[in-house]
Amino acid sequence: MKQINFKYLLPMIMSFLVVLYACDKSYLEVPAHGALSQDVLANKIGVEALLVGAYSLLDGEGSSAGTANGPWATSSSNWVYETVAGGEAHKGSDPGDQNLITPIEQWNTTASNSYLDQLWQQRYDGVQRANETLRVMKLAKDMTPADVAQVSAEARFLRGHYHFDLLKVFGNVPFIDETITYTANNFLVANDGSAMSKVEADFLFAYNNLPATQPNVGRANKWAAAAYLAKVYMFEKKFAEARALYTTIIANGTTSLGVKYSLVPKFGDVFDPAKKNSPEDVFSVQMTANDGTGAANANNGDGLNFPYGGETSCCGFDQPSFTLANRFEVNSNGLPFLDNSYVYLKSDMGKSATDAFTPDSTTPMDPRVDWTVGRRGVPFLDWGIMPGSSWVRNQAAAGPYEPLKHLFRKSEEGTYTDGSSWTNGFTANNYHLIRFADVLLMAAEAEIQGGGTVAQAMTYVNQVRSRAANPAGFVGPANNAGLVSPTKYSIGLYTASTFTATNALTAIYFERELELAMEGHRFSDLVRWGTAKAELDAYANAEAAQGYLSMGGVTFTTGRSEYLPIPQTEIDKSQQGGKSVLTQNKGY
Amino acid sequence: MCKMYTINNAYLCKKYTLTKKILKKVRKRLRKLRNCYIITYDCINILKSNPNTMRKFLRLITVPLLLLGLIANAQSRTIKGQVVSATDGKVVAGATITVNGSKVAGISSEDGSFAINASGTVTLSVSSVGYTKKSVSVPASQNTIRVALNEESSQLNEIVVTGYTAQKKKEITGAVSVVNVKDMVSVPAGTAEQMLQGQASGLTIIGSGSPGEGSNVFVRGVTSFGNTAPLVIVDGVQSAPGDLSLLHDLSASDIESVQVLKDAQAAIYGARGSAGVIIVTTKKGHGKASITYESYYGTQMVKQGNVWNKLDPQGMADLYFLAAKNTLQTDANGNVTSAQYGTGTKPVLPDYLLAGGVSGIHGTSSATDLSLYNNNYNKGSIYLIVPANKNGTDWYHSLFNNAPMTSQTVTATGGSDKSSYLFSLNYLDQQGTLLNTYLKRYAARINTTFNVKNNIRIGENLYVYYKDNPKIGNNQEGNAVNQTAWMQPIIPLYDAGGGFGGTAGKELGNSGSPLAGQTRAKNNKNNDYMIEGNVFAEIDFLKHFTAKTVFGGQVDNYYGYYQNYRSYENAENGASDGFGEYSGNNIYYNFTNTLSYNNIFKQDHSVKAMVGYEILNVTNRQVGGSRVNYFSDDPNYVSLNTGSPIGQNNYDSYNHTTGTSILAKIDYAFKEKYLLGLNGRRDGSSVFGPETRFGNFGSVSAGWLISNEDFFKNVKFINNLKIRGSYGILGSISNVGATNQYTLYGGSGGSSYYDLNGTSSSTVMGFAATTLGNLKTGWEKDVITDFGFDGSILNNKLDVSFDWYKKAINGLLFQDQSAAVVGVGATLPQVNIGDMQNTGIDIGLTYHDKINKDWSYRVGLNFGAYKSLIVNIPGAAGFFETAYTHNTGPQVRDAIGQPVGMFYGYKIAGIYQNAQDVANSPTEQDAAPGRFKYVDINHDGKIDDKDRTFLGNPNPTFTTGLNLSISYKRFDVSTVLYASIGNKIFNYTRYFQDFYPQFQNSKSIPVLTQSWRPADYSQPRANWTAANPGATYPIAENASYFSTNGVINDFYQEDGSYVRVKQLSIGYTIEPAILKKYGIEKARIYLQGANLFTFTKYSGLDPEVGGSAASFGVDYGNYPPSKTINFGVSLTF
Repeated sequence: MKQINFKYLLPMIMSFLVVLYACDKSYLEVPAHGALSQDVLANKIGVEALLVGAYSLLDGEGSSAGTANGPWATSSSNWVYETVAGGEAHKGSDPGDQNLITPIEQWNTTASNSYLDQLWQQRYDGVQRANETLRVMKLAKDMTPADVAQVSAEARFLRGHYHFDLLKVFGNVPFIDETITYTANNFLVANDGSAMSKVEADFLFAYNNLPATQPNVGRANKWAAAAYLAKVYMFEKKFAEARALYTTIIANGTTSLGVKYSLVPKFGDVFDPAKKNSPEDVFSVQMTANDGTGAANANNGDGLNFPYGGETSCCGFDQPSFTLANRFEVNSNGLPFLDNSYVYLKSDMGKSATDAFTPDSTTPMDPRVDWTVGRRGVPFLDWGIMPGSSWVRNQAAAGPYEPLKHLFRKSEEGTYTDGSSWTNGFTANNYHLIRFADVLLMAAEAEIQGGGTVAQAMTYVNQVRSRAANPAGFVGPANNAGLVSPTKYSIGLYTASTFTATNALTAIYFERELELAMEGHRFSDLVRWGTAKAELDAYANAEAAQGYLSMGGVTFTTGRSEYLPIPQTEIDKSQQGGKSVLTQNKGY
Repeated sequence: MCKMYTINNAYLCKKYTLTKKILKKVRKRLRKLRNCYIITYDCINILKSNPNTMRKFLRLITVPLLLLGLIANAQSRTIKGQVVSATDGKVVAGATITVNGSKVAGISSEDGSFAINASGTVTLSVSSVGYTKKSVSVPASQNTIRVALNEESSQLNEIVVTGYTAQKKKEITGAVSVVNVKDMVSVPAGTAEQMLQGQASGLTIIGSGSPGEGSNVFVRGVTSFGNTAPLVIVDGVQSAPGDLSLLHDLSASDIESVQVLKDAQAAIYGARGSAGVIIVTTKKGHGKASITYESYYGTQMVKQGNVWNKLDPQGMADLYFLAAKNTLQTDANGNVTSAQYGTGTKPVLPDYLLAGGVSGIHGTSSATDLSLYNNNYNKGSIYLIVPANKNGTDWYHSLFNNAPMTSQTVTATGGSDKSSYLFSLNYLDQQGTLLNTYLKRYAARINTTFNVKNNIRIGENLYVYYKDNPKIGNNQEGNAVNQTAWMQPIIPLYDAGGGFGGTAGKELGNSGSPLAGQTRAKNNKNNDYMIEGNVFAEIDFLKHFTAKTVFGGQVDNYYGYYQNYRSYENAENGASDGFGEYSGNNIYYNFTNTLSYNNIFKQDHSVKAMVGYEILNVTNRQVGGSRVNYFSDDPNYVSLNTGSPIGQNNYDSYNHTTGTSILAKIDYAFKEKYLLGLNGRRDGSSVFGPETRFGNFGSVSAGWLISNEDFFKNVKFINNLKIRGSYGILGSISNVGATNQYTLYGGSGGSSYYDLNGTSSSTVMGFAATTLGNLKTGWEKDVITDFGFDGSILNNKLDVSFDWYKKAINGLLFQDQSAAVVGVGATLPQVNIGDMQNTGIDIGLTYHDKINKDWSYRVGLNFGAYKSLIVNIPGAAGFFETAYTHNTGPQVRDAIGQPVGMFYGYKIAGIYQNAQDVANSPTEQDAAPGRFKYVDINHDGKIDDKDRTFLGNPNPTFTTGLNLSISYKRFDVSTVLYASIGNKIFNYTRYFQDFYPQFQNSKSIPVLTQSWRPADYSQPRANWTAANPGATYPIAENASYFSTNGVINDFYQEDGSYVRVKQLSIGYTIEPAILKKYGIEKARIYLQGANLFTFTKYSGLDPEVGGSAASFGVDYGNYPPSKTINFGVSLTF
């Protein structure tokens, strides 16, 4: 008996253990680790955190969406789609580096260019983060109507922004509101041309519901929404509405901290990360460095756009064009050559850094040039004198000039740059989505187009020019570590005789380029104005003549090149019954 | 010392069980006599009829001898002898020795020895399971004999583990590849899966030369876009889903057997079986105590010559001038300007590439004064002085050098009827041919079993190892392999100040110096401490039942750190130094309980049934952190504490999945002719939601041993023939994340926090949806159909196995490819929409023969061919793209109706020869003489993205392995050949090497010599005509175009077929008599070569190029396998 007992004991114990284990249903219920469920977030604090999450994609990255080729395709500044395609800068670097930018630069890309997918993915990810805030907000029980209005307004501001960014580039995109989700399987939304008006509605809602002051400088307030709404009006050519709104903004607008909008005294300070969030910032994308994330919240999208070979790190992209550099030439009145009769000054193109080169010191130039275009022989912030081709990777593919506005000062290295990644180019320099100078110049346009006066428009333009004309803000010893600039600076204000009903728009457009060059507005401005074909064909010819290879034989195709094609993969993924709900843009 | 006894009583044999109790008592006293028995032929026959009885009888055989007084004294003459295997000289225990013409018989003992009584000249017949029966004549004068048995040509009696239970091969109804372990372990490799390449039909393995690197393992082709790893089972321990580590680090000497289950029979593993099952059994101790020492030492030799086909410095200079002319960058006098080669019509190599900020110094200058040199950031501005190496630097061989490889193993084994043990120690040191890559592994195994009672067995298998395995990111753009291609030869290894030479300076490209990178990596660590194994207990009861419980698993503790240095030598230098450290553990266990029943009813009905229950549990945990900006780069100083807290980074991750299963199977055989197998399994897994948590799997298989039919007895040339078929439903969960069912929110500093306060350095916490859950996602149902046959013909000399199969992966778990408007920053769930289908054949052939007593040989051939087809893909698009590169986007498109992993892009029709050619061709962006003309696939007269097409298939048409061994007397020669035929490789390294404008890196010779050139530069660009109309490379230009390298085209695609001699060895077994005085029982020495020859047309370093399942065969810079010469010795004491 003893032995038999033993024989059965072990199997019995085993079975018993197993049954015990199996019966414990919870064995297969494994909770997710390191994540939150919707219940935890469906309250005021949780919804607020989701809203912050929606803000966090403003920096052009941060989610897995749109990262296949790196953050360059999705930068907040849209430098590929606006600055490079807009003829302010060359793709730069080496011909084959980020080759996908070249067809965009040449206004002739195909719908399969993966840069387009990435932009699309990243911006719609932002849209859905805003929507998710709205969705979870509806489940929260502890929010007052005021809380709901405020959160809704901020979320819709962000949703409007992400859509607008896409509309500028693609022209016609689906508008995705908070009812559209993966789970509901209702996401095949047509691009039926209604998005812009819905974006307008979002900004209008934000304008009507946001407070003028906010606890945090980085939040959108009423006036940021107003400025964005006005910008949308401008794109919709609702100039009268825009003009009215701009008038209100200029009269009453304040930053989120309640400081009245104004231009900072020195032009160069606008681009100094140490002086960010000034009264000039209407809405800026906040960038950080050294926040423990390995530079993930820095301005990564512009991370390639630094001189190549110098200490500022890497990669020689987004180098200003010949045309841009020379548009800063001024006439004897210190006014720009509105007829484009400026001459192309001799440049460093084709010269070795050891070849002698004397920078031009006789042609008068708008002082903003040396805060916008790094030229050989001229102080380059506090980095010393720009040495020429030793800071350029490949002149034939990039030209002789360097971008400047998003750079950091040498004295700021380590403070506003993040050392934890492979380049110093990941900086805490904010992207100015809308700054007050932009508002003034848009307002000037609206004055002319929307039933205002030429005089008022001129006042706005001169307001911008006056700040630029402040000698204390010129590139030189006071602002550039004791370095002396060889450039002959000259800038004058427009007068009634130089700013006329006939040339007012041209002057405003020109001013917009000089003031906002390299800031990611140019291409959509040209399209909005209807001047893209003329400007860009001339640009291509001029650049090719100067030796920039990528522009040889390139032309802008009216009716096609205005917008990039809807990404082919998105068209393919949006099929319903064999037909896509997305309509491809004309010409693609 | 040992008296001889004869048992000659049938009654005893029949009835011994009755007397067992009595026998037991005396057994102790008689233990010494255990090996000294002789039994009669009659008795053997009786016992043979019942194998179980036989076994027990043998155990107890010593007992009855005295007790029942049935012992007769030995007859006049005793022939003593030993039975050994002719193949390897190992002793054969349990062989039956009969004296022809009499009823006298004996059985060899555990050391192979026997003694048998005879008179006069006799003929002895010696037989044993697994060996061919042999008759030897023993003259009257001879009293000792050594009988060498040949292994039976048919492997049909081999015992094969087919899922929880074992079967004889002839009774198997499924498709199982039984690996010849001897052939397998003859391949000297650091990882077991590399040894398996070519050893089993239907098993595709793509490895690399990187020591310790994992390989792609596909059973019957790629059946998933994600993880395709088969289930690995070592001694009953199952691998964690998608994890090959159980197999990866096995010590070759420990491997006893390897089987690959390929068809629906693997349904007993249910949701884990569809990618195939590799079952490994490690060696157990048996017989008398012995110690084996196995060792080899060798050298891995790198490919010699100009492996990247690079231009020399003068060639690069000439090319620079050619490209400038082709791009019309000449001045009015026809001069070209270069920062390095000066201005003129002909380039002049500089003396210094860089001095301070000045590039291209000819002669000497004040700038080259060495006192100015500084490469230390702490000492101020960097000032480099880099002399030009006009003779050319061989970058490849500065990094890749011949490297030693050694393996040392000591194995001690032994066993008795009470217990057995195996203890082995292995040290493997495979130095990588690439600087500072290596695999050092210290491993110990202890396998023991104990027979506690007659019916209770317990035991354990324990394997413990520690490995130190720093690797590079293999086959990744920009890795050290790639960099050896990128570095221009004019760049010196070291600069004038003793620092590293690099690309700092103009026109030198942007590569990092691989020498600097790998030298600085020398202190980096990547270590694993692994404990794996199991404990088991097995109880026989109620005659036919066996209960078994096994608890086994893996505990993998890994740990590593890396140091980044702030480089100064490169065109693109990092912003800071840094240090990072990480550690984690992967803990996996499974607990399996089975109850099996074996019985034979009425002689003819054999039933083997099993039911079981199993649970599994997987946890993965990792923590890590990094800091930057160290005061000193001294490796003894840098730690996570000593870096700057500004910019510090830390992270963790944790995953947990569980599963439960119930399983059952039954194998039925009627008259050893008709075989039927049924199995079923119900799996539950925590990765699925409550609605879909459980899935059912199962298979049916049948076999017909035609050769056992009476009507077949007359077919002489076929010795054995079995036809079989199987059908079943299996699954795979390797690709489902632990939290697939949940919609989750979360975030991190980088992904969802935002600096609302404008601080520039800190953020406010924010969240976002991180995963979109899908409660409906359920089990993948993979339907596998297989028909095949196994046979032996030509007098059992040729074994053939053939299978046709169809693997239909239905409801393939793959990430939903939804339109991006849903917000694809949140991870989309895995859904069951993809369908794939592979059809193929596997063939295994083994032929062995002995020509005469000195010569014998064996040939084994494994052949596998499959056709892959994607039937469905989640999302409306019907495809997804993968293998992105920074510069040209995706290269691979997985699409419905195509094989998996197809390369996708433009097809090149040729090179535009002149303006006429351009005009006559479809409109193409940037079309111009000298550039690529693409094929207008859709015939719409223009080349645009609708003209992209599927370019080539990375799946081989077939793979085959050939194992050949020949023995002549004491010499043996063996070889293993492997071939992969018909697969295409996308050689992306050509992007940098074969197109001039790519990053000013080093270029290949044809870019200068075979690129299209204009006949007359004075003509306008558009009117150029060819100076060399046969040019195969496009014109070298300084700009990149749609019609050159701006898009993916088939310029990169090459035939990746290859045939490789993986192993060739010659061995000699030393005469035992010589060894005896040294106490050595057996000794074999051998000289071996691995990867000696590779026949391929592929132009890259090596055609064995892996990747992920969704995109493989793209060569971004693959660490090539090396030719290896080893000298080895194997000693048994």
